[in-house]
Amino acid sequence: MPSSSSSEPLPEFLSSVKLKYVELGYRYVMSKLVTLVLFPVMVVLLLETLKLDPSEVVSLWRRAQGISAVNTLAAVFLLVLVATAYFMSRPRPIFLVDFACFLPAPSCRVPFATYIEHARLVPFFDEKTVRFQLRILERSGLGEETCLPPDNRYIPPRNSLKASRAEAELVIFSALDQLIGKTGLKPKDVDILVVNCSLFSPTPSLSDMVVNKYKLRSNVLSFNLSGMGCSAGLISIDLARDLLQAHPNSYALVVSTEIITPNYYIGKERSMLLPNCLFRMGAAAVLLSNRRRDRSRAKYRLLHVVRTHRGADDPAYRCVHEDEDDDGNSGIRLSKDLMAIAGEALRANIMTVGPLVLPVTEQLRFLASLVGRRLITAGAVARPGWKPYVPDFMRAFEHFCIHAGGRAVIDELQRSLRLSSEHVEASRMALHRFGNTSSSSLWYELGYIEAKGRMHRGDRVWMIGFGSGFKCNSAVWRCLRSVATPVEGPWAECIHRYPVDIPEVVKLL
Amino acid sequence: MELLWLISATILLHCLLRLARTALDRRRRQQCYLLDYELYKPSDDRKLSTHLCNAIISRNLRLSLPDLRFLLKVVVNSGISEETYAPRSVILGREECPTLADALDELDDALFSALDALFCRTAIRPRDVDLLVVNVSMFSPAPSLTARIVNRYKMREDVRTFNLAGMGCSASPIAVDLVNNAFKATPQATLAVVVTSESIAPNWYCGTDKSKMLGNCLFRCGGCAFVLTNDPELRRRAKMRLRCLVRTHIGASDEAYQCAIQTEDEDGRVGFHLGKTLPKAAVRAFAENLQRLAPRVLPPVDLAIYALRHWLTRWAAKGGDPAAARGISLKGGVEHFCLHTGGAAVIEAVGRALGLTKHDVEPARMALHRWGNTSASSVWYVLGYMEAKRRLRRGDRVLMLSFGAGFKCNSCLWEVLRHLDDGGAWADCIHRYPPQTLVNPFLEQFGWVNEA
Repeated sequence: MPSSSSSEPLPEFLSSVKLKYVELGYRYVMSKLVTLVLFPVMVVLLLETLKLDPSEVVSLWRRAQGISAVNTLAAVFLLVLVATAYFMSRPRPIFLVDFACFLPAPSCRVPFATYIEHARLVPFFDEKTVRFQLRILERSGLGEETCLPPDNRYIPPRNSLKASRAEAELVIFSALDQLIGKTGLKPKDVDILVVNCSLFSPTPSLSDMVVNKYKLRSNVLSFNLSGMGCSAGLISIDLARDLLQAHPNSYALVVSTEIITPNYYIGKERSMLLPNCLFRMGAAAVLLSNRRRDRSRAKYRLLHVVRTHRGADDPAYRCVHEDEDDDGNSGIRLSKDLMAIAGEALRANIMTVGPLVLPVTEQLRFLASLVGRRLITAGAVARPGWKPYVPDFMRAFEHFCIHAGGRAVIDELQRSLRLSSEHVEASRMALHRFGNTSSSSLWYELGYIEAKGRMHRGDRVWMIGFGSGFKCNSAVWRCLRSVATPVEGPWAECIHRYPVDIPEVVKLL
Repeated sequence: MELLWLISATILLHCLLRLARTALDRRRRQQCYLLDYELYKPSDDRKLSTHLCNAIISRNLRLSLPDLRFLLKVVVNSGISEETYAPRSVILGREECPTLADALDELDDALFSALDALFCRTAIRPRDVDLLVVNVSMFSPAPSLTARIVNRYKMREDVRTFNLAGMGCSASPIAVDLVNNAFKATPQATLAVVVTSESIAPNWYCGTDKSKMLGNCLFRCGGCAFVLTNDPELRRRAKMRLRCLVRTHIGASDEAYQCAIQTEDEDGRVGFHLGKTLPKAAVRAFAENLQRLAPRVLPPVDLAIYALRHWLTRWAAKGGDPAAARGISLKGGVEHFCLHTGGAAVIEAVGRALGLTKHDVEPARMALHRWGNTSASSVWYVLGYMEAKRRLRRGDRVLMLSFGAGFKCNSCLWEVLRHLDDGGAWADCIHRYPPQTLVNPFLEQFGWVNEA
């Protein structure tokens, strides 16, 4: 905890949550009112019963036996009814049975030298532009094993609809085949399908492509989300969760990907060249279930999904924007304020996530600190030494999966949330090995944690995604069983080499 | 001791009552009400007259004489009038090289004008919106169209947005399904806004492949914004209530999946291919949808009669072709039919299959005539016609039926909650419908093509 003088104002986000905590406290008390009243009564009853003599117990028992069968039956029936109603009114648990990530073939690898050579050979980049991309790569945090789709490597790159569909089929079907192999899922059992891909949405959609390939049932509920940015994976999970709440005994397949082929920028604007350097091929497929019998084999349980949309704020809305440059080439423009906006969005998201996940002691301590400071300042005497209490998120989660948008994003989040380097290791290593795979990056990171054997039963995972809009979405999972180190999957062959030390600047030339 | 037992009994009763109340609340909030809807009406300078149509067609110098003939034939037999709307960039001659700005302008006009009117009419503040769904099949920029709307109307930070794309002409029921499921999952009172439109400008086909030119002839600019809610307090103001929704997806069949698909022609130009197997796929999807819809829509007596008749026919035909959908009439459970205005032939075929009269298919034919094929929003224009004609009375049931790429057939049944008489986008022209004659103005000028 950082020390600070008593006159230091509360950190920005903390001051805006104070009302929220008061409201939270009130709601907590009201929702638990019956328990709070009932509990002391039950305790007293128990004590009274314990005080009874054996003879009194016997007489009570005789009296109980004297009660007519009808009354007893009615009482039992009432109890069962109440218990059933209570359990049925609770939201259905959502289990993550398993997930699989696409592992690109080694032939798709794009080491830095290959990337730069390709950039030099294509006719649209001049030497200055190539050097700029080189500098980006040096500081990007990417490694030499990230992959681009084959059609991107042509000179000039092929970005036809056919090539884009080919990439989509490759990454999505590969991830789904792996998932089906791992879980034994029969395609005919899939009830819900949600596919998200931000920058490529043909008609029929990618979800229709999956229905066609795997011959899903005719009453499958399929949805295709597009344009929702790098945080769309969690939006898909949110949608799948709604659907699973409304349909009992169902399986939901969620596929997150980003298709790179049609999005290669061929202009010279610097703010639009970053996606070329950072985005790489990837896809993830996730199987969710609300069947109670899957509890024993499921890996995680979904606890919360919290979505924050900062689109109302103009700079936030414009910071990641599809645009056409002066020559008419289209690309994604990233603004210089991206980090600051990401930080703001995260703070806004934390304000909602915090009360849901922080342990009661943390919340009470924060509330007490807040109230205490208010009382003291109301007395118009600033008491020295009463420091503001900053909730410690590391007490709420064991693992963090932060969208591997780029090195700067991970640095910024590590600083904001005061995380140690172990906590952000999964994000950094996923960025190094696979690059920015957009919405599927969170799943690669989760795969890393599992491959390292760090996932134990009871561990809580916080997934944070950012994306154009500007959105910050979080999902909280709890691990239901200790995950054995996987023998297959994208990390199986290389996990022994990780973690690697990633220098600030990789000297390439 | 007795007092304590009494107290525990009281508390138990309190728990029971609270649970009962929660259950009742949950049940009430699972209803999905259509509060209101607003149809998009583009400005009149975008109307596609015969003269303008001719100019656009002739601009494509790649077209040979047989191609021109085919194109004109389609236009002449399409069943659409001179009142339909095209994107501004196409009218101004920029259909070959549409820019991102053209696509965004077209959609901004559609989405924002419909939403402005909707918010004004329903007196809903954008800050009260909890759920926003946008459906535009063939254009999906980054940030998404939902983000564009959130930015323009300054919606709340915790608004849940979903941007559907690539879902084809049958996406209206899909968007309603999404909202309906969200209502069931979060039982608090929720206000949802759904906007549906289509993007024509960046998808104008400039090649010579016949199957892709059909899209140019049929698709027109349109859109609809509507408000759904599960708040029982808003029931008095609501127009309709959702009774059931059935989605059918026959994409498992390769033929069905590929009959309506965006592809490139030999020259690399992207267009929307409408294949010859499309009618067959539509029939199959329709039949499957009806099989699941009929039991939920028809009263038991009608169902029994139909089942008996079907069984007798099969027995008589000794195991002949079991076309389950043939001969079924939904009129026992549905008063009004909003059919997707995919084309004159589609409306005709569906009308025949369902045993509909001229009066029943009139709204769909008139909507096609006035607005063209506006993709997913077409069923709302058909609904608008019915309302403008004052056909929708309290207690009536309205069936929305749409088909789309994938291949999907989706339907939803609404119950009208009060007498509806709002003209909306039809207000200025409803008095001219149905026209005395449906002779196509294109027919007059280009009718020679049918004989040639």
